[in-house]
Amino acid sequence: MQGSKKEFFNATIATQRFALGARPDEIKKINDNAQQWLLTQLDASPTVTFDRSLATANSILIAHSEFTKSRKAFRKQQADKTIPTAMAEMDSANQMSEMQAMPSESKKTEESKEPKNPHNDFYKALTADALKQTIESENSFNWRCLAFFSNHFSVSAQGQLMTGLAPTLEREAIAPNLYGHFDQLLLAVCQHPAMLIYLNNENSIGPSTRFAKKNRGLNENLAREILELHTLGVDGGYQQHDVTELAKGITGWSVFKPGKDKQQGFIYHKGKHEPGTRTLLDKSYPPQDLAQGKQMLKDIANHPSTARFVSTKIVQSFISDQAPEELVNHLTTQWIKTNGHLKSVFQALINHPLSWQKQQQKYKTPYEYVISTYRALAVKKLNIRQVQNALNTLGQRPFKADSPAGYSDQQQDWDGASALMARVNWASQIAAKKQFAKTNINILIENTFSNTLSTHSYQVITRAESRQQALTLLLLSPEFLTR
Amino acid sequence: MLRRDFLKALAASLVVYQQPLLAMNSGEKQSPKVVWVMLRGALDALHTVVPTFEPSMKTHRPTLYPSIEHKLLPLAQVSSMQQGYALHPALVNLHQWYQQKQLLPVVAVSSGYPKRSHFEAQDYLESALPVPDLDSGWLARAIALKNKQAIAIAQSTPISLRGSNQHANTWYPSRLPDAEQQTYQALQQLYQDSPQLLTRLEEGLNMEALLGEQNLQKKQQGSFVSLSKSCGQLLSQPTMDCAMLTLGGWDTHKNQTGQLQRQLSLLDKGLQALKTELGEQWDNTLVIVATEFGRTVKENGTRGTDHGTASALFLAGGKIQGGQILGKWPGLQVEQLHQQRDLKATSHHFDWIAASLQQHWQLTDQQVQHIFPTAKVYQGKMFRA
Repeated sequence: MQGSKKEFFNATIATQRFALGARPDEIKKINDNAQQWLLTQLDASPTVTFDRSLATANSILIAHSEFTKSRKAFRKQQADKTIPTAMAEMDSANQMSEMQAMPSESKKTEESKEPKNPHNDFYKALTADALKQTIESENSFNWRCLAFFSNHFSVSAQGQLMTGLAPTLEREAIAPNLYGHFDQLLLAVCQHPAMLIYLNNENSIGPSTRFAKKNRGLNENLAREILELHTLGVDGGYQQHDVTELAKGITGWSVFKPGKDKQQGFIYHKGKHEPGTRTLLDKSYPPQDLAQGKQMLKDIANHPSTARFVSTKIVQSFISDQAPEELVNHLTTQWIKTNGHLKSVFQALINHPLSWQKQQQKYKTPYEYVISTYRALAVKKLNIRQVQNALNTLGQRPFKADSPAGYSDQQQDWDGASALMARVNWASQIAAKKQFAKTNINILIENTFSNTLSTHSYQVITRAESRQQALTLLLLSPEFLTR
Repeated sequence: MLRRDFLKALAASLVVYQQPLLAMNSGEKQSPKVVWVMLRGALDALHTVVPTFEPSMKTHRPTLYPSIEHKLLPLAQVSSMQQGYALHPALVNLHQWYQQKQLLPVVAVSSGYPKRSHFEAQDYLESALPVPDLDSGWLARAIALKNKQAIAIAQSTPISLRGSNQHANTWYPSRLPDAEQQTYQALQQLYQDSPQLLTRLEEGLNMEALLGEQNLQKKQQGSFVSLSKSCGQLLSQPTMDCAMLTLGGWDTHKNQTGQLQRQLSLLDKGLQALKTELGEQWDNTLVIVATEFGRTVKENGTRGTDHGTASALFLAGGKIQGGQILGKWPGLQVEQLHQQRDLKATSHHFDWIAASLQQHWQLTDQQVQHIFPTAKVYQGKMFRA
């Protein structure tokens, strides 16, 4: 009896803490196999599924190129028109009445539609797909891992091109390498158009190459963020010298230009690559073209500082802001032993008892909160605009973090008073929706928490004076706000 | 289609101007109107229509009864059957209605639902079927039979009006983003063991209080009084026959005195606002006010009352046979109580609702049977000429 209760408890932890909240059938399905349920997801192939018919980074780059070209042509046309039209108007002023001049005016406005920027549509469609898949997935632990690395390698939808391009990074570079070796994940990310463009490496030119000019040369942005945010961490033991060397090592790493390059995606410009030997963290890298930068990335990916830095981040994100030292050490050891084999690292996380502390450890981020709400409610006709609006209202729009560091994973950044008020208002609105009017609160509680909801919360919720208020309270209960 | 557009425009103007509009209801007799007001959360009848003649009130309710005892509004007795009831001091307007014979309280009623869950009891009261069907409400069945137009002042169609989509509209002040007051109260209770959430909630509430006038106005838009006013305006239109209002906040498990003082005052003012907006149509209107069940006869350990059985029902309107109290009083001796704790039900809501609706909307017995299959329809006259 005691044992089965404990295991039930683990099913709640598995869905709430490790994954993104239980869908109605999951708690029962997991039963007392919580760890196994998570471990099995690591073997899913593919780990996560996207709608493959949607735009890719390549198609977006092509669309962007066409868009800028046609806009340029249009603007030129407009500029050309202005002169003859003005002249014609001067003539016609003498001969034609205003009435006659009108039709040509209106014709002009009809033509004068500027080509439409396609990127908002790309952004909406791609993020909608990811959200929908996440909400409906049976492998929501995988989606959470994807979200973790997507935020770890954060790219922001800022400016026209990045608005369309940002959501492609997780689909194309992260998802296929989710449980592989970290060095491969890092390489895929650093060679993806979204990252190269976001952190300005696509125009980074070796300073001693013939392409270098007064205003064109080395850009350290990507190299710095790789060291600071993606691998070693700010205290990981690198110097400015290392940033410059890595930046030089990846000069010439760029993105294809539609119409100019035959190949798509990542492009290596040999001529723009800084020649010579590089030194990174006291190790020498002889000139080897593309392979030079690749080797540098591989070595920092497998550096012990990276193992500790990313392991700490994983533990903080998945388990607790106050990452237990023992658990971090356990993951770090596993990381180093397996050369950053992420599947092994996550196995270590799942199998360690410190990951299963009963006390709820963290306040959900808006993303976790919204996704787990929709998963619990299991809406039949999911209105994804509602989900997007919710993330917007609660402050975590996909790919809108304002820095390459991504959104904070720390609870103190999300648990403020006005943030709670926003959740109260949002939950009230959700609960008022017609589609949830028949929600059976007892079943919802059982499907979400099994028997782990506190007696106090259970009583307050089930004694609410209407179904609507009961649902509101459930979504705002301490147990649902945290994980 | 046109009607919908009209409603939209009407609703929009309600939000923007918040003032009476289209005084097109003057004089002309329109088809009989019904307002169904549901009090969600279980109103404590003993604290509302108070049996002052019961000597045990003080022993059952040592703090609750004295808190209102000396301010009660007595209801005139028409016959010796009616002993000596009084209304809660906050029900100033309803008391006046009673004196004008426009209010008819019924005591000791229940829906027939035997247990004490709010949701299930509300399902019973809204569906009026022996086995509640959440897609078939009694009011919906009535308007479908009589081809009436109804509107629910709510964000989504309540069960009462479900099952007749061609007739029932909903209206609610648009984009009302703030949660309702009761939600905040319930959250304070929910967070009693979570100090950090409680602190955040209180900070948030203080912050909102500081935000001032504009926000306040926005909140008041969703208050019962303004909803009732809007309801009256919508119902004043010749094409509109029927409306439903709901008011929550009756689940008074603790510190009931203050909460009911506020709630009953809100109800009283709201119903008065409805009457004012209806103008001359008031004589043509039947208002039904009911709650899903009553509360324990004894007060509990937190100056409140817990879920019980029988409660009270109000019928009102310009021509209702008011100024009297109906329903048989079961008594408050312990052996007279249901399961020795609740006021016993001596009749069902639907016995009275069916009778008044039948007479108001000229329903045949067969139609009544279809709408209220379980009702033992009261046979007395419910309206004055």
